[in-house]
Amino acid sequence: MSAPHRRPSGPRRRPRRAIEIWLIALLVALVATVQIRSEAEVERSLVGTDTTTLAFLIDDLHRANDSLAAEATDLTQRRDALQAGGSSAADQELTAEANRLRAIEGLVPVHGRGIVIVVDASSLQALDLQDAINNLAAAGAEAIAVNDHRVVIGVAIMQTPNGVTIDGALVPPPWTISVIGDTNRLAEAADLMTQQMHSDRRVRQATYRVEADVAITAVITQRPFVYANGS
Amino acid sequence: MARNRVLGILVVAAVALATGFLVAGQVRAQLLTPSNQVARYQALVRSVQDLVKANESSRAKIASLRSDIDALEGAAAQQSTTTRALQNEVADLRAHAGLTTIHGPGVQVDLRNGTPAPDVNGQIGYLINYQDIQDVVNILFAGGAEGISVGGRRITPLTSFSGSAGQIVIDQGPPLTAPVKVVAVGDRNRMFAALEDPSAIPDLRDREVRFQITVTVTGVPDVKLPAYDSSLQIPHVSTP
Repeated sequence: MSAPHRRPSGPRRRPRRAIEIWLIALLVALVATVQIRSEAEVERSLVGTDTTTLAFLIDDLHRANDSLAAEATDLTQRRDALQAGGSSAADQELTAEANRLRAIEGLVPVHGRGIVIVVDASSLQALDLQDAINNLAAAGAEAIAVNDHRVVIGVAIMQTPNGVTIDGALVPPPWTISVIGDTNRLAEAADLMTQQMHSDRRVRQATYRVEADVAITAVITQRPFVYANGS
Repeated sequence: MARNRVLGILVVAAVALATGFLVAGQVRAQLLTPSNQVARYQALVRSVQDLVKANESSRAKIASLRSDIDALEGAAAQQSTTTRALQNEVADLRAHAGLTTIHGPGVQVDLRNGTPAPDVNGQIGYLINYQDIQDVVNILFAGGAEGISVGGRRITPLTSFSGSAGQIVIDQGPPLTAPVKVVAVGDRNRMFAALEDPSAIPDLRDREVRFQITVTVTGVPDVKLPAYDSSLQIPHVSTP
């Protein structure tokens, strides 16, 4: 009876073991590399962005998302009302929508809680007024007028040799800026704006007041589209 | 014997893996230890990413709801002449408010960041910022634009621009960074002339020279502007 045949150990087994060790080493290296690289990628993506900027961004996005959620809720209600009713529900919805859009586009007089800013200055430019209006819009302004001239995005505020014009009409200082919207946010923005203006040598006076009912009677005449087509 | 060998290999593999994780963890810990900055950044960036995702999803929902409402109003208008007249009126108002897509001849303005260089005012002058976009939009409207979009976001009568350090926030949208494409429908000649006026966008023109910011204006025979897909609420406004 011959002895049981044993698989040879020695030189033939060594390459297999070596491969196993190499595979394990590769795996270890891979895990370590992935960990370290992911760390480096985060660092790289944040170059130039400080934590304060990120914190402000988060704050803005929270507010934006709240507004979007409110809009979605409102639209859902309108859709449900349209689904439930017939053409009478549609008439009601369309009339309300038309009134809202006329107010947004500055085509009708409006009133509501808001603030009034008065700026008396010499040689302020159209860019200064555009910046002020944009700051108020960013603070939630829903309707704006400057010296009884209605202003929405799209109304030209221009610099001319005679001074600043709104939709072609000269608007000499002092500027009285009437704004309707959330008074807390508007007052916060107006506070910052007037503080900044006080450090501007051109500005003689910059004040604001919160009012329970700001009336904006000035309106814009809508120009029909000449070049734009609906699609 | 073979079983023992397999077991041995598994033990070696487990030890090696654990060593790998430990080494990586140690390297990570060394990176974090000085100020824990990366971890804080990671948390903030993750928050921003989550909020941006939620923002995009809400805007898609709003666009879909507006489309549903439009379809329902259209169906109701088939049954009543009064509803049809109202729908036509609202369609015109919606188009002017930027709530519907429009197309027509226009211009495309491409704004690109310049080259980093020292800035005496401590500003980041080589970056396109929200005020640059605001200025270009105002010039285009003054030059007769009938509708404008910035980076695919439609401008409405209540649009505002904000942001910091090269980030451009338009209304409730997540921030944009350059390159930014501003597209306007309207009289191309007037809009070209308005942008070419050397006094029109003095700050941008100055930074074009100092930081090699690029502002390219191209005429386009037919451009399409998307509909506004965010909030357009005026809860504090009443009409007499």
